[in-house]
Amino acid sequence: MSAPLVELKAVYKSFREGDRERVILREADLSVSAGEWVFLLGRSGTGKSTLLNLISGIDRPDGGDIVVDGHTINRLSERDRTLFRRNHIGFVFQFYNLIPTLTVEENVLLPLELTGKLTAQLKDWAGDLLAEVGLSDRGRTYPDRLSGGEQQRVAVARALVHRPRLVLADEPTGNLDAETGSQVLEIFQRLVRQTGTTMLLVTHSREIATLADRILTIHNGNLVDAARQVAS
Amino acid sequence: MRPLILALAGATLLICLAFLLVSGRNGAGPAGKEMAMSVGEVLGGNASAGFSRAVAPRPFHFPEDHGPHPGFRNEWWYFTGNLQGADGQRFGYQLTFFRVSLLPQAVQRTSRWTANEIFMAHFALTDVRGKRFRFAQRYSRAALGLAGAGGRPLSVWLEDWAARETEAQPWSMKLAASDDGMSIDLDLQSLTPEILNGEGGLSRKSGTPGNASYYYSLPRMRTSGTIRSGKDTFRVSGFSWLDREWSTSALEANQVGWDWFALQLDDGRDLMFYRLRRSDGSVDPFSAGTLVTADGRSIGLRREDVRLEVKSWWNSPASRSRYPAEWRLRIPSENLDLQIVPRLENQELLTSFRYWEGAVAVSSNAGVVGGSGYLEMTGY
Amino acid sequence: MILWRAGYRNALRHPWLTVLAVIGVSLGVAVVSAVDLANRAAERAFMIAAETVAGRATHQVVGGPSGIPEDVYRRLRLTGHFDNSAPVVTGSLQPVAKPGTTFQVVGIDPFAEPPIRSFSSNFTDRGTLTSLMTTPGSVLMLPETAEELGIKRWQSLPVEVAGARRDIALAGYLAPPDQVARLGLGSVMVCDISTAQELLGMTGRLSRIDLVVPEGAAGEQQLKEISALLPGDATVIPAGTRASSLDRMTRAFRLNLTALSLLALMVGMFLIYNTMTFSVVRRRRLIGMLRALGVSRREIFAMICGEALLIGVAGTALGLACGKLLGGELTRLVTRTINDLYFVMEVGRLPLLPGALVKGALLGIVATLAAAVPAALEATGAPPRAVLSRSVIEARHRKLLPLAACGGVLLMAAGGLLLLYEGGGIVGGFAGLFAMIIGYAMAIPAVVVLLVNGVRPLFSALFGVIGKMAARGVVVSLSRTGVATAALVVAVAAGIGVGIMVGGFRLTVQTWLESWLQADVYLRSADFGSGRSHPPLDPALVERFSRLPGAGSFSLSRRASMETPEGFTEILSMEVPSTTFLGYPFKKGDPRRAWPSFQRGESVLLSEPYSLRHHLKVGDRLTLRTRQGAVSLPVSGIIYDYGSDTGIVIMSRTGYLKYFDDPKVDGMSFYARPGVSTAQLAAEIRARGGGQRLTIITNKELKKATMTIFDRTFAITGVLRILTLVVAFVGILSALMAMQVERARELAVLRAVGLTPLQVLGVICGETALIGLLAGVLSLPLGILEALILVFVVNLRSFGWTMQFQVDPAYLVEAILLSVTAALLAGLYPAASIARTSPALALKEDE
Repeated sequence: MSAPLVELKAVYKSFREGDRERVILREADLSVSAGEWVFLLGRSGTGKSTLLNLISGIDRPDGGDIVVDGHTINRLSERDRTLFRRNHIGFVFQFYNLIPTLTVEENVLLPLELTGKLTAQLKDWAGDLLAEVGLSDRGRTYPDRLSGGEQQRVAVARALVHRPRLVLADEPTGNLDAETGSQVLEIFQRLVRQTGTTMLLVTHSREIATLADRILTIHNGNLVDAARQVAS
Repeated sequence: MRPLILALAGATLLICLAFLLVSGRNGAGPAGKEMAMSVGEVLGGNASAGFSRAVAPRPFHFPEDHGPHPGFRNEWWYFTGNLQGADGQRFGYQLTFFRVSLLPQAVQRTSRWTANEIFMAHFALTDVRGKRFRFAQRYSRAALGLAGAGGRPLSVWLEDWAARETEAQPWSMKLAASDDGMSIDLDLQSLTPEILNGEGGLSRKSGTPGNASYYYSLPRMRTSGTIRSGKDTFRVSGFSWLDREWSTSALEANQVGWDWFALQLDDGRDLMFYRLRRSDGSVDPFSAGTLVTADGRSIGLRREDVRLEVKSWWNSPASRSRYPAEWRLRIPSENLDLQIVPRLENQELLTSFRYWEGAVAVSSNAGVVGGSGYLEMTGY
Repeated sequence: MILWRAGYRNALRHPWLTVLAVIGVSLGVAVVSAVDLANRAAERAFMIAAETVAGRATHQVVGGPSGIPEDVYRRLRLTGHFDNSAPVVTGSLQPVAKPGTTFQVVGIDPFAEPPIRSFSSNFTDRGTLTSLMTTPGSVLMLPETAEELGIKRWQSLPVEVAGARRDIALAGYLAPPDQVARLGLGSVMVCDISTAQELLGMTGRLSRIDLVVPEGAAGEQQLKEISALLPGDATVIPAGTRASSLDRMTRAFRLNLTALSLLALMVGMFLIYNTMTFSVVRRRRLIGMLRALGVSRREIFAMICGEALLIGVAGTALGLACGKLLGGELTRLVTRTINDLYFVMEVGRLPLLPGALVKGALLGIVATLAAAVPAALEATGAPPRAVLSRSVIEARHRKLLPLAACGGVLLMAAGGLLLLYEGGGIVGGFAGLFAMIIGYAMAIPAVVVLLVNGVRPLFSALFGVIGKMAARGVVVSLSRTGVATAALVVAVAAGIGVGIMVGGFRLTVQTWLESWLQADVYLRSADFGSGRSHPPLDPALVERFSRLPGAGSFSLSRRASMETPEGFTEILSMEVPSTTFLGYPFKKGDPRRAWPSFQRGESVLLSEPYSLRHHLKVGDRLTLRTRQGAVSLPVSGIIYDYGSDTGIVIMSRTGYLKYFDDPKVDGMSFYARPGVSTAQLAAEIRARGGGQRLTIITNKELKKATMTIFDRTFAITGVLRILTLVVAFVGILSALMAMQVERARELAVLRAVGLTPLQVLGVICGETALIGLLAGVLSLPLGILEALILVFVVNLRSFGWTMQFQVDPAYLVEAILLSVTAALLAGLYPAASIARTSPALALKEDE
């Protein structure tokens, strides 16, 4: 078995809320191998999104190390973390977070431009991706003209356009009806699974968790295997 | 041949003034074509309307005629002289006062600066041994006592440069002028009566009636006094020559220059001759002169009477002009054959109107007679 | 660049926000560059004119109040053999067809000029010089000047000169050797010295004699020889003196204008800061998303600064264009004030001053960037969360409040120390003033919180829930309202401060005129120039008027100025009844004790600015150059005078006639005999004036005319005050509008839950009105403080005038009304637009 793509080593993270300290992660360990799909299940407010923020380098742990693809990202500078994120990670949010002032196509192309990889070839690839998510005819539209499902499909395309090794998805279907949600998941299956890309997905829906290789929950600040927890 | 320099001076006075105003005090003189244009303009009939003209001979009355003639536009008092110091140093001097009227009649105004006349004066000193030639030029309006001519006894002055009558019989004057590095303080006493040039004092400059001047000379004035050249002061004595001329217009447009000789010969004779040069290089038929014999008789000279040859040339380093440097002057009828050599090569006046005027030594080819004099050359 | 496209489209989506920001920058730049342009144009005009007219002269012989006798020049030439000298007679005239336009008449002797000047005409034909010298009234001017006046060569032009109407004729054109000389000669007419003497009534006198003296020992020797030839009241001064003393005379005035323009820029900077901060705050979500996608801090910073740069460049370009236009107007005002207060000058054409433009451009762009930096820092400081809640920003802002307030208080304290330091001069005064303003502005957000928390119960009691919401809105959105309020406060306070200062000054001048102008009817020669001194009256006329049956008594006066190495000294000589003298506004000294020696010409009075500038007190001695040589006279009193900030020396006519060779009289005043009315007396004078062109004016009319000039002088101050208010108005408008539009969703929710459009309007306008009210109230103390500083520090140091300080409540009420109005207006547009749009549409908007 290959080296893990994502590794958490005794990660500690807490927030101050007034005078009280709320611990999200306490000495949490995790190892995700390349190509693995790990879903994080749990109620709102348990710190699932925080975990994604930590792995993407948006936020920093209070203790422990996070290693992604061989980079100990919590030891990188703010700038390097940004560059790392821009190059290696694709992000899908619950609220799509498309840039309202950019067209669909421009939204998809943005990560490529940020990484400085915007070539004609890759531009075609972006077009292919849009076709894959079924929106090839909407490239010049602004996001506010799209339905929620369509917006999320654009977001998926944007997350994959620069061929990240890791996709982080934060409740990608949380804002969509069941049918639209399954469309998005189908696209994930097609575009992420097939390319062997690792995915960490946060959800509160047990139904979609069936797609996962492994399901985790956060319990008392620790990441535990959902199956095991259910068992215990 | 001072009418020309007068006319030209009058013209250049005006343009050169402008030139000086624009270029500061180092204005070395205007371009020739500007001059020529202005010469024609000054001689134009319209500009001189209302002024008197020299048309016919007139009676001269002295000492009145030594004074100014305001009805005429131009007039000058032209003193030149060759002087010698106690141990034989030679000097030449020139002190000239030009009067130019602006209008035929004076206007009445309240300001004391009101002036109808402008005075220009040139002052030059040749130090032969010191090989120095110095010159200066001044302008002023005839107002507020800054410049003027007139009075009995007569005085002609521009600021502190002045010629003042000291004695009426024989007519005597005191000249005083000083400038940077030179000054003169001379007493002049005339040894001859006034010599009327031309036809009884009417000196025609061209065929056009009225293009003439009234012109008399005092060719021999005994001179003594002091001069200063640089830091040194010298007691000097010798002879001066006074030319007096007044006119309203004199020149033709094609008269481009002249050579004027005023020679005092050791045998007591005085010779004045001017040669007018035309633009085509020929000598103007109105070139003329006067020979005064030792006993005071004057003989009119016409162009045909005088032969002039240039024997050598001198190039002015300052103006790059070429001037004759050695002359041979012959008057066969009077048995004169003279060699005329400048006492200094460089006696060029780089004033607003550029010309060469300086002391010359005269020797006879036969070695019979010598002398001194002044030579004026323009249009080179 | 896709990233830049996002920013660019953002600007397009909210065009008016961008437009307002651009307008803010452009207004600030326009005001500063206009004032700079006007100042420089004026300065350049009189410097170049002074230098061109001075030519190569190294020194000048100047004389007493009526110039130098012309014989001095002849003596210099004839006795002194000093030929590098040229006489000059100068004065001014106004073309009848162009009232208010003044030309300098420079009378020269062309034959003395060659070493000195290089601007004379090319006398290419004899006619020019002949007519210049022999035709009375002949002048030379630039071809472009002639064109402006619509005259051709040999044509004549009616002018007002020295109290008379005369005709001058164009004899030829001036041919300046270079462009600078051309500028310097723009409003100069050159003529022969005889013409100048006749036109200006200076027959027998010269204004000055220009000299070229070599440097070193030889020159010293020459100067000594020249001095020996001069009469007692004449002296030799270096030629540079004039230009620099003109510069010095107007320096305080110009500095004051610059300071006022900087105030406008400061308000403009607040505006930019506000716009940029707001633009960042509004896009916090977008920025968070971009950060999550991997856009680095530096890129965000560059994006914000890039936007600011674009706004700055656009605003600056617009501002410079407006500044050029405005500058022309201001130049006119500045010129008029300089003419009224200092000396006669004219700015012919507004020159293109690249320096002023570059300065304005730099200022605009740098100020915009500087104002945007805090916002850009804030944007990059934001953690890259997809959604950064606004409350976090607001919380952070609030944390800064006490810090800013403390800093502000410290800055104000520093400003206070600066103001107390006497040696600080005008610059120190303004530095102190600005420190006070900025310090106060920094403390404003904190004060707003305190005040709003204080009035919230009142608002809620008065307007119920809506009132409470409005008040809460102000505090909650402090990140924007704080700066907006500060900007408004600064602008309104400047309005109050300048208003109180000018009002106090006006009152002071009015009071002063009461004691200064005691006669019933005043007479002087008709003069169409706006200068302070008037042409002398005909002596025969003075004689005739001395025996008016209707006048109980009369006074004679002569106002003349004397050039000294330190500048100009204005001497006012008076022959007045003792009762008038005793009524003079004495600041120091006892009129009764001063009278005997003053009357005998053995002591002088000084005006307040003169005593301050020259550090002379009552009992000190003043040394004057007179025809008896230097004479030292005791100062017997200091009186208030607001006519000249250079100051005047007042002496009795007896003394004046003794010390100066100037028997002329330029003013008479008459006291009516009992039983004779002022109108009767004036009519009597008018009847005896004959054909003379005279100005006969009663006491009341003269006071009115003086106040008119006063108001005219302060017109420029008023204009700047209004401009500053406009900048502030635009600022508050854009800030409040932006804030309200940002709240569109929130307001839509309010509409959705059932508030009527009118109620929404109430919330919005309540909020903006509260801000306006707060700004108005907060501007009062600052405005009064500014007025105090202006009156007691800046004006005293700049002009040497003591002024009364009176706070006219009207200014305060005006300030509050103005700020509330501006704020209310700012609320109307968003309220109207939110009332028009359906709440559903607003709710559907993302987030």
